[in-house]
Amino acid sequence: MSETNVSTAAKTPSAEEIALIKKFLNDTTLFLGPDPEIMRRHDLMPRSEAEEAAMQVVNDVHVTAKIRDRVQAGCDEGFEMVEAMGAAPGAKWGDVITGVYTASGDLAIASAGGVLIFSTLVHHPIKFIIKNWMNDPTVGVREGDGFIHNDSRYGNVHNTDQSMILPIFWDGKLVCWVASTVHEGENGAIEPGGMPSMAETSFDEGLKMSPFRVVENYQIKRDVLTFLQNSVREPKLQFEDMKVKLYACLRIKQRVEETLRTDGPQALISTLRLTMENVRAEVVRRIREWPDMTVRTYIIQDSTLRENCVVKINCQLTKTGDRLIFDFRGSSPEFTNRATNTVLAGLKGMIAQMFLCYVWPDLPRGQAAFAPIEVVTDPNSIVDCSYDAPNSQSLMSIFTGFTAAQHAVAKFLYSCPEKYTKVHAPTFNMINTFIWGGVSQHGETLGNLCADLNGMGHGARSDSDGEPALAPIFATMADIGEQELNEEEVPFLQLVSKKMTKDAIAPGKYRGGQGYTMMVATKDSEQWGFMTVCQGAKIPPMQGLFGGYSCGAYPLCKVKGVDVYDVLLDEPHKFKHSIAEIMNEQPFEGASYTTHHMGMGFEISKRGEMFMISQGAGAGYGDLLEREPRAVIKDIEEGLISEGVAEKLYKVKFDHATLAINQDATRELRDKERKDRVRRGVPYAQFVETWNTPKPPAHLQYFGCWGDDVGTLYVGSPEITREADKPKPNYMRHPKDVRIDELEARLAELGALGDEKK
Amino acid sequence: MRRVSVDIGGTFTDCFVVWDGKYIEEKALTTHHNLALGFNEALSKAYQVLGLELEEILAEVDSVRYATTLGTNALIEHKGPRIGMLVTAGFEATVPLSRARGYGEGLDDLGKQDLPNAARPDPLVLPQMIRGVRERLDFEGRMVMRLDEEDVRVQIRSLVDRGAEIIVVSLVNSVVNPMHEERIEEILLEEYPSHLLGAIPVILSHQVAGRKGEYVRATSAIVDGYLHSTMYHALSALEQNLRAHRYEKPMLVIHNSGGMAQLNSTDALQTIHSGPVSGIAASEHLAMQAALGNVVATDMGGTSYDIGIVVEGGIKHYDFNPVVDRWLVSVPMVHLVTLGAGGGSIASYDRMYETVKCGPESAGSDPGPACYDRGGMRPTVTDADLVLGYLDPKNYAGGSIPLNPRRAASAIEDALCDELDCSTIEAALLIRQKVDDNMANGLFTEMRARGYDPKDFTMLAYGGNGPLHCCGIAQNLGIDRILAPPFSSVFSAVGAGNMHQLHIHEKSLYMVLYDSNSRHVYDDYDRFNDIVAELKESGTQDLIRQGIPRGQILHSLELDMRYGNQLVQTTAVIPVHELHGPADVMSIISQFSQDYGKRFGEGSQAPEAGIRINTIRVAAYVRHETVQFDDIKPVAQAKRKAPPAAGSSRKCHFVGHDGSLDTPVWDRAAIEPGVQIAGPAVIASEVTTYLVNPGWNFVSAKQGASWFLRG
Repeated sequence: MSETNVSTAAKTPSAEEIALIKKFLNDTTLFLGPDPEIMRRHDLMPRSEAEEAAMQVVNDVHVTAKIRDRVQAGCDEGFEMVEAMGAAPGAKWGDVITGVYTASGDLAIASAGGVLIFSTLVHHPIKFIIKNWMNDPTVGVREGDGFIHNDSRYGNVHNTDQSMILPIFWDGKLVCWVASTVHEGENGAIEPGGMPSMAETSFDEGLKMSPFRVVENYQIKRDVLTFLQNSVREPKLQFEDMKVKLYACLRIKQRVEETLRTDGPQALISTLRLTMENVRAEVVRRIREWPDMTVRTYIIQDSTLRENCVVKINCQLTKTGDRLIFDFRGSSPEFTNRATNTVLAGLKGMIAQMFLCYVWPDLPRGQAAFAPIEVVTDPNSIVDCSYDAPNSQSLMSIFTGFTAAQHAVAKFLYSCPEKYTKVHAPTFNMINTFIWGGVSQHGETLGNLCADLNGMGHGARSDSDGEPALAPIFATMADIGEQELNEEEVPFLQLVSKKMTKDAIAPGKYRGGQGYTMMVATKDSEQWGFMTVCQGAKIPPMQGLFGGYSCGAYPLCKVKGVDVYDVLLDEPHKFKHSIAEIMNEQPFEGASYTTHHMGMGFEISKRGEMFMISQGAGAGYGDLLEREPRAVIKDIEEGLISEGVAEKLYKVKFDHATLAINQDATRELRDKERKDRVRRGVPYAQFVETWNTPKPPAHLQYFGCWGDDVGTLYVGSPEITREADKPKPNYMRHPKDVRIDELEARLAELGALGDEKK
Repeated sequence: MRRVSVDIGGTFTDCFVVWDGKYIEEKALTTHHNLALGFNEALSKAYQVLGLELEEILAEVDSVRYATTLGTNALIEHKGPRIGMLVTAGFEATVPLSRARGYGEGLDDLGKQDLPNAARPDPLVLPQMIRGVRERLDFEGRMVMRLDEEDVRVQIRSLVDRGAEIIVVSLVNSVVNPMHEERIEEILLEEYPSHLLGAIPVILSHQVAGRKGEYVRATSAIVDGYLHSTMYHALSALEQNLRAHRYEKPMLVIHNSGGMAQLNSTDALQTIHSGPVSGIAASEHLAMQAALGNVVATDMGGTSYDIGIVVEGGIKHYDFNPVVDRWLVSVPMVHLVTLGAGGGSIASYDRMYETVKCGPESAGSDPGPACYDRGGMRPTVTDADLVLGYLDPKNYAGGSIPLNPRRAASAIEDALCDELDCSTIEAALLIRQKVDDNMANGLFTEMRARGYDPKDFTMLAYGGNGPLHCCGIAQNLGIDRILAPPFSSVFSAVGAGNMHQLHIHEKSLYMVLYDSNSRHVYDDYDRFNDIVAELKESGTQDLIRQGIPRGQILHSLELDMRYGNQLVQTTAVIPVHELHGPADVMSIISQFSQDYGKRFGEGSQAPEAGIRINTIRVAAYVRHETVQFDDIKPVAQAKRKAPPAAGSSRKCHFVGHDGSLDTPVWDRAAIEPGVQIAGPAVIASEVTTYLVNPGWNFVSAKQGASWFLRG
């Protein structure tokens, strides 16, 4: 037997071998999950051959301008159709977008109105379809097809938003896609309304649709529709809105086809590409105008919606030359069993939204407006969560991420020579509203939310107060609706619907737009409940600007053990239209009065029990001592602040009977306060010495970096950390288990713990 | 027929007199301090034509009808009384918060998108003048909390002490049960009796708007209250002027619903936009008489482009929640879309796309286009039209506004030519193309959103700039027929002369025609029939109050319907006014399905989700004799006459044509009916310029009507 030398060391594979392995892996993929190549990229796809060829043929900017306007009009028409025909409350208040995407999947032109965060999200599922289904013999993409999608891990905010995606062919070739996306609400999750805060895994979050075909020959497939209807609490809504989105897409398709007929496919392809490239170039040009500098800021989340804790969203914004980089490293680790995480694409979408609504509102809506901007995160963090982490309450992290970005950007805008809108303080960023569900007075099973989420107070501007209830941070021209119309559908009343919450302000030289009070109570159903999904009950979820203050904290208040409808009929004088009066005076005998953080899991409510919250105020701008005394008095007249706040906070002296200002006394009060500030101040080094600690406190569950070291993340305790770039699980205990432990400890202390524990 | 109709606009008072087959159109400047003076002047020109005295005319005419923008102007100028407002406690901020989106109502797209710059308009009711009263009804009008009358008295006194000159009451769910609003009115009268000097007018929201929606109903009542006094005094002065000149019949006021009524049956809110709405009515009347089929009425002036759709078969398009100035209200108003495009639209360089953008900024009339030589430095559409040779600098607007071509050219050159690297003419052509595209896109979206194909329409083009731009716009839309209508300079006044007395009453309700859960089809026929009968009777009484015999009164029934829980409410005109069995219910469902499919696409209907009626609306009306137009259809090709020799010719430039074209110029007055002129051509009149693009033919018709026909 001859000996041969067999090397056991792995040799470098040849190109053929690599191709072989790649083919094997491609052919044997178990599951086509979210594709990082698609999901982590938000820039435009490279020019395709078809685009290059088209741009050679059609490059007259005036011709493409004409075609662009026509396609834009088609998108706006589709948007109006969805808004009008949609059954979901989200559709009615404009939580919708429609758009035309290139054959490669980039969003080139979007409807002018609606929720612009979608504009940087829906390209992901289209690219998934292109990459995986287009050439798959079991799927394919054909004329007349329509694909549905909602899973944020394939590109979305959260899985309550559903998209309908249609390819458009011309002479047998794919020329573009059209899509329509709507916030639908109900999705079959463990809580009604589509945004469960109780979800501990992604499997608690209801329907999770990767992109798949539901439409053939422009008809919705009844078998698939039935499956989807069977998976949610509102089969009617699922049916209606799938149809609405399909017909809106078909309308846009008609418009696109008219252009194809009159100008040819190359004109359309060239227009879509040029539109994106022109916008991208303009954004780069605008970034170049900003000063080169770095701004650091952070926002605190005060709960996971299940328990109180301190969760950091860390943001460093750096601009150098053409580059603008949002660095969110140091933000909290993801929660393995809490729903407040977001996928990276969601965070990017929200920052894109900020640029389109708050920085460059004149820019056309589309993916290109955010394409050149960079975002850096830690893996498996709350702003860049893993596949396994639940994210149905991603709004908590994308909204606080938005605010961190908004706060940082304002510093750049202040120093920027050309402004496209006003420098402003952050907008209120929580969805302070009631999510509801159950069986209505008409016997229908419903699950959705009050449109009051659209009533966020706006931040103060460099020259004026913020407006109250202007718009949600994710849309323009949204609607807080008409209560009379809501009451026709749902079995509860807003006993206080829109009344300014006195003193719930964000002061400054210019104050933020004020929040308003909402009190609800179930009336005509025995199967009805509410939930709230906000942070900011203990720590405000934003910061003021240039000396302005943030808003206050807004808790949830409940009154139970009373049927307020009996009180309203029999003893109406006891009812007060103010949370403060009801909670302080406790006018209903035998009732319980409690306050809570704003993460109330779905709770069945008995007839006449009251749930009370306030919409939030936008942040203030500038030093409150510089506020015009007349403006302070006007706030009193309009019921926004009390006389005490005017005197004690704003230091305005006035006659309480006539509200006449004593200018001299006011000046003196303010001068004194300025001197007192100086007296209260300490040198910076002394402040750091007394204020700083090397680690976060032990008595609070703290998550995220501490101080300047963004490489170490604290995970709920000063003793538990992880390296920022090395993921590890972060499980939270069930709040009931925590409570049981607390109570058992108390029983043990009292010697009353029974044998069952043993 | 002998009739006077008037449209009182912001600048001109237009008058149209029909006198035994004669049609006279006259204009005078509007006299804002006393509208009667402008009216008298316009009418005096007309009676001079007829050789009659003013009194002779007014004594003989069957009616005098007014359309007016007075209310619109008063809103824009913010001239109104100090309003005190009572709302349901807990809803005090409903009006100030204006459904959130109120900041952007009435603004252009950029105004809606620019959130940091957003600001709500100055309120018509100050927040401190809004008081909550302790009461509450539920969605069916059932009592939740009784009205606290003592609280009401306290709040009313407080508002009056703070200077309230009028009280507006808008309570939640008052349209289904008005008892609390009515009781507040009684209390107000007890506190401030109407025979005493301190009397205070009161507006109840359920009487102004009959549909649900506490915010839009409140704003409707506020706008009504705000305009009440202004409109009352102005219109009363007009009526007294008529009385002083021997007119003894009731004066009729045009409503934005497309009807008209006497002063005692007119809300101030109903008069808003009645001028432009009259233009739509004139288009409808013309379309019917001249058998034009579907028409899209377009009115292009200096700052705006108004669009209205009139389709064959009488289907009316209404806005039930129109925006008046900056306020979303609840009133059935004839649908009218206004685009920010006109002669004054400013052109600028679009850096991002390296092309031209046009509007929505406008130079208005002051300073106006650069060529007006009134200080305007930025190029406008009119400047481009002048540079391209379409306008005669010496005879623009009948010679009243001399134009400076050099100023126009330099404005275009300064703003655009360097950036675009093109000549002045090329830049002017781009402006021209852009503004026509903008208007075509606006028209297209508007028509398609309602389920119509522009190719099936004839375009009506009026207003100072309408006939100048209509060919370019129509060409973009695939429209081949354009009509510049007869009497186009007073077209809204013509419309006022053709209105019918009409009143609309409506009721919000929750009526399920098909319940998809229980699979039950509606069978409470009596409820439906009782509501329709009640609404019919309300309208009938309105007309009887104005002296119309019951036997002459007609009714039409409309239902706002929807599938499932949609927002959209498609209005179906229902021929069956009473339900007697399932077949009647099915006919309603079928009519709704047909209308819905037409609008949103056949197959988009979703009856599986259930079918509901949200509003029942009854229009009560009486038909009046209408103005008869001559046959204005273009004569057959073979019978068309050659034009007289052109008065002159100019070098004009056209989109899609290299270099200039020799373009003959005619005086419109010299062209007889039946004459055909092939484009390119310019035909000038005192009020407008008819531009005939290459590829189009101009065909004159009777009564000054002018056709543009392609091919």
